[in-house]
Amino acid sequence: MGGTLVVAEHVRGQLRDVTKELVTAAAELGDGPVTIAVIARDPGPLAAAANVPGVDEVVAVAVDADGFSADTALAAIEQLVSEREPSVVLTGFTVDAMGFAPALAARIDLGFASDVVAVRRDGGALVVERDFYGAKVRAELEFPGHDRVLLMLRPTVWAPAEGTGSATVSQLSVASESRSRHLEYVEAGGEGDVDITKADFLLSIGRGVGEKDSITRFEELATAMGATLGVSRPLVDAGWMPAARQVGQSGKTVKPKVYLAFGISGAVQHLAGMKTSGTIIAVNTDPEAAIFGVAHYGAVCDIFDVAEELEKLY
Amino acid sequence: MKIVVCVKQVAMLGDEVEFTPDGRGVDPDYLEHALNEWDSYATEEALRIREAAGGGEVVVVSAGDEDAEDAMRRCLAMGADRGVRIAGDGIPAGDPITTARALAEVVRGEGADLVLCGVQSSDAVQGATGTALAELLGLPRVAVVKKIEYDHAARKAVVHRELEGGLVDVNEVETPAVITIQTGINEPRYATLRAIKQAEQKEIEVVEPGQLGPPAASVRRMFVPPRGEGAELLGDDAAGVAQRIKQIVEERLR
Amino acid sequence: MLAAEVPTRETFANLPVWAIAFWYFLIFVSVCAFAWGVWRLARKYRAGRGPAEPDRPAERLARGARVVLSHSWIRRRDPLSGLGHLFVFYGFLVLFVGTAILMVQDDIAGPAGFEFFEGWFYQAYSLFLDVFGAILVAGLLLLAGRRWLVRPPRLDYRRVDGGPEDVRGRYVLGDRAFLGILFFLALTGFLQESFRIAETDPSFETWSPVGWAVGQAFIGIGFDGGAAELAHRINWWVHGLVALGFVSSIPFTKAVHMLAGPASVATRDDLAGRRLVELPPDAKPEEVGYQRITDFAPRHLLQLDACTKCGKCHEACPARASGYPLSPRDLILDLREVAEGSLGLRSRLGVEPRFDAAAPLVGNPIRPETLWSCMQCMACVEICPVGIEHVPIINQLRRGLVERGEMDSQLQQTLETIYTSGNSFGEAKRKRARWTKELGFEVKDARKEPCELLWFVGDFASLDPRNVRNTQALARILHHAGVDFGVLYDAEKSAGNDVRRVGEEGLYTSLAEENVKTIEGCEFGRILTSDPHSYNTLKNEYPELGAGWSAADVVHHSEFLLELLERGRIVPKRRLGYRVTYHDPCTLGRYNRVFEQPREVMRALGLELVEMPRNRDNSFCCGAGGGRIWMKELRDESAQRPSENRIDEAVALGDVRFFTVACPKDVTMYEDAIKTSGHAAEIELRELSELVLEALELDPVAVGAAPEP
Repeated sequence: MGGTLVVAEHVRGQLRDVTKELVTAAAELGDGPVTIAVIARDPGPLAAAANVPGVDEVVAVAVDADGFSADTALAAIEQLVSEREPSVVLTGFTVDAMGFAPALAARIDLGFASDVVAVRRDGGALVVERDFYGAKVRAELEFPGHDRVLLMLRPTVWAPAEGTGSATVSQLSVASESRSRHLEYVEAGGEGDVDITKADFLLSIGRGVGEKDSITRFEELATAMGATLGVSRPLVDAGWMPAARQVGQSGKTVKPKVYLAFGISGAVQHLAGMKTSGTIIAVNTDPEAAIFGVAHYGAVCDIFDVAEELEKLY
Repeated sequence: MKIVVCVKQVAMLGDEVEFTPDGRGVDPDYLEHALNEWDSYATEEALRIREAAGGGEVVVVSAGDEDAEDAMRRCLAMGADRGVRIAGDGIPAGDPITTARALAEVVRGEGADLVLCGVQSSDAVQGATGTALAELLGLPRVAVVKKIEYDHAARKAVVHRELEGGLVDVNEVETPAVITIQTGINEPRYATLRAIKQAEQKEIEVVEPGQLGPPAASVRRMFVPPRGEGAELLGDDAAGVAQRIKQIVEERLR
Repeated sequence: MLAAEVPTRETFANLPVWAIAFWYFLIFVSVCAFAWGVWRLARKYRAGRGPAEPDRPAERLARGARVVLSHSWIRRRDPLSGLGHLFVFYGFLVLFVGTAILMVQDDIAGPAGFEFFEGWFYQAYSLFLDVFGAILVAGLLLLAGRRWLVRPPRLDYRRVDGGPEDVRGRYVLGDRAFLGILFFLALTGFLQESFRIAETDPSFETWSPVGWAVGQAFIGIGFDGGAAELAHRINWWVHGLVALGFVSSIPFTKAVHMLAGPASVATRDDLAGRRLVELPPDAKPEEVGYQRITDFAPRHLLQLDACTKCGKCHEACPARASGYPLSPRDLILDLREVAEGSLGLRSRLGVEPRFDAAAPLVGNPIRPETLWSCMQCMACVEICPVGIEHVPIINQLRRGLVERGEMDSQLQQTLETIYTSGNSFGEAKRKRARWTKELGFEVKDARKEPCELLWFVGDFASLDPRNVRNTQALARILHHAGVDFGVLYDAEKSAGNDVRRVGEEGLYTSLAEENVKTIEGCEFGRILTSDPHSYNTLKNEYPELGAGWSAADVVHHSEFLLELLERGRIVPKRRLGYRVTYHDPCTLGRYNRVFEQPREVMRALGLELVEMPRNRDNSFCCGAGGGRIWMKELRDESAQRPSENRIDEAVALGDVRFFTVACPKDVTMYEDAIKTSGHAAEIELRELSELVLEALELDPVAVGAAPEP
């Protein structure tokens, strides 16, 4: 009874960072023992990696599925929840978890919230925080009538738990039918012309450039300044730039020494991909742009004016 | 062939906000409304699948108050055939599980070959309704999809799931299934106002939701999030800003 | 036939009866060919959509006659070629009437036993025709010299949009043939007369001065008697056959403009471009706008044939001048190719290039970029000598594109933004009247209190920070003058002028209907606006939607400020004395003929106003109109932006302190262009209200302050 069940996340045989962040969040919540479930065809090595400080038990769940299967993950966690009866189940607010976590909440009637940025107990009642309306408003949520709650936590909010833990490792085998089948992995954007994660200096542009034709100008400016050009999601969605250039949760996570952002308002997903950069400089016409919240230096300016001035300097 | 698309009329906040007297929501006067961006991609995808198949029906379903019909009209103007609205007065805002319960009954009744939802709504960003709906319908589901190759005859689809970090997971899924659609999968067509007005002649059936059960979460209070330290401002003179940027870049890269 | 004879001449001198009969047969054939051609043209125009018969025929006929006879449209901005055309026109007309008189004598009066073609009448006739024949030749020489020696750039048919050039050779050939045949006819006509005079040398023919002089010259070199008679006989047939050939060719060649031009002038829509036509409420998607050539109004199909390729639109077009892939001339010619190759004689005769009347126009040969390049500034419609309505035609073609969602993503996003927020800035409704909060006095809510003046502010003037300064300046002036005015606060929506010009008719209608409903709910005297775009729509377009006001009830702030000055309700405290120039906004000047009021305001402020070469109806668009401000750039990067071109023009006047405008979009465009053209040190921008405020010595409004509620 009680305790926190953390669902580990992994891709191509590697444990993802968000897993360790979830452990930190679970420890912070202090809701009894922390159990972490690692679901894979061969969970052994991943289970070892998931054994970080703060974890009391690692359950290696062996399943009959390659890659990620939403059906299999759901079956495994449902079984674990019914066996261990945790009060809180934590997953990342990630693409994989989006495939099963809300389904579990609907199936066994859990309290539910996603993209959670803060978790605490307030006199026994679980209270979480999450954003609404483009992060302009934050809300405290509670879960009356639910003694069991599933939370999907926003990545990069909690620091990952580092080191080797001393959890017991147990085995579980779950048999389930999967109605989907993993075929292969491919890199989005295919011919990644550059690796933006390796750059020391990234000049990134966003929706603010307005039109496709302006990209060339910033590409040239980046070259002149010795920077690599990155872009935010809208430019990739519009088909203007290859996905290999995309910074953010669904693109690349980058950590250059200098991140210079032009016309990027700073969606949560974008910030998650660059906020640990050494020095962040943001130029945007909107003084309310969220990017100014993570930037070290900011200028509320027309990006084309600044670009023009920079062109003179380089 | 029938495709159901679940859509939402989302609310957008400008740069000012007032809360309702109980502090649990935003004063509706401060909100503007529009069709959720992800849902316009989902609608477009449904229309394209229908067009590729050379026929079929696209049904738009939404849970919400009467204003939600504006969003549905847009989808109908884009080319969807008809709509069903589940009167959503009793559905708590920001509770995707209850929303999914409200939708499930209607969507089940439609007996669709495919159910498409947007990955998330821009106002609540839960990323949950579609997956919860699939569970309630007992259908397979794939979340965050950037490409669909649907084979109606074989009752399956090959879908590209967009993972974090630019990785794409190619899956084959049995259909009927619920697929949540990511932006960028297509270019949604423009619905002219003329088409939107004419779409008023298309049918939107309104149904009452069944028993929804207790909400999965409820808002205790809303507030404006504290802003961080904030950036050091470089001024608003472009030339000066450029100078400072050059200086900072040179310092940090040294 | 020697001396003492009655002055006259025989029409069919030197011709046997069978030849005369054959001649009449040829005339019959030629007239039939002409009539068949005209019937084909009418059939082509009737293939268009909508009624072919114009309203108010008498009035239109009078207008057509007035414009054609006075050549007022042809002479504009190019008096020399206007004169050339005037000569050719009247020369041709008089010779034509002369021939008709001859026909009356020979075929009607003569058989009835009445001879009038003799004596003084004959002599006057001879003189008259000789003089006008000479005028015709002079006009032809003038036009030919201009076309082939002076070679003005607007007669260069090379395309600016990269489209196909293949039919251009045919155009040049057509020009040469047209001028050549007219010249040949004039020449052989004079020769005919001269040969006759050389043959018989009648003394009374001194009344045909040209023929007399040349005839005497022939006699002088011994070319008379039988030789002259033979030449007369041969030349008679040559001249006659070419003349009949020409008549029958009129409906099929460049000469068609002799018919289509006047018809186009007469039938042109008086409000063309200013007031676009509504869509039928039950239009099906394929009936929206001009998607196929058969969607064109018959009047517009007629206009395509009226085009003479004179290039005046090509020269005036700001898009063409700034490297956009649009020349109004080439667009009209392309459309004519489609009409002729699908519905016209060419398609009937199977001559290439042919087109399918049911095929979409956009793609082949019209490119979407061409249509999106248009700023709907009306420079082309303004100057077209034959009354072609380029702007409404482009607008209809755009409607077809919008209907099919074929537009750039930036424009699509803007339209969505206007749909959701009611303004192109995507700002919350509540922010629309935010500018009133810093004034220090209350601005009436026109929805709640009656007011003399209902101020429709418009998107740019309400929401663009630079423009808010002018808006506040105007408010201070009105307040100072004790004007009873109010605004609509958050109920005002984008007027929709540019939405309509983009081709999103549905969105325009929805915006317009809501604005009309809001305004109708208010009690007011007149409507004021500082935004010429809103002005045009409120004045010319809203009344069609059942608005209860007339065009005269809508005033632009330049008109209203002048009223205040004239009535002494505002009195400048200081003569400003600056040297300034003024840019006429398209939608205020060309669209609505408000040219002098802003100038008079400036003079009343003691400003020294110098005019740019392109002023008033020839003003050069800033580049923002027709929704271009919301679209991605289509310009060839090597060309100069229209706005920068305009600033250069102003700076070239020398020592001009302020570039003055009276349009919020101009404020935005030219503030930018002054910077990007590198003239920031030489010239500054001022909106009219700012200058008035300065002259009144009222407190300037706090600049750029960001108010909080």
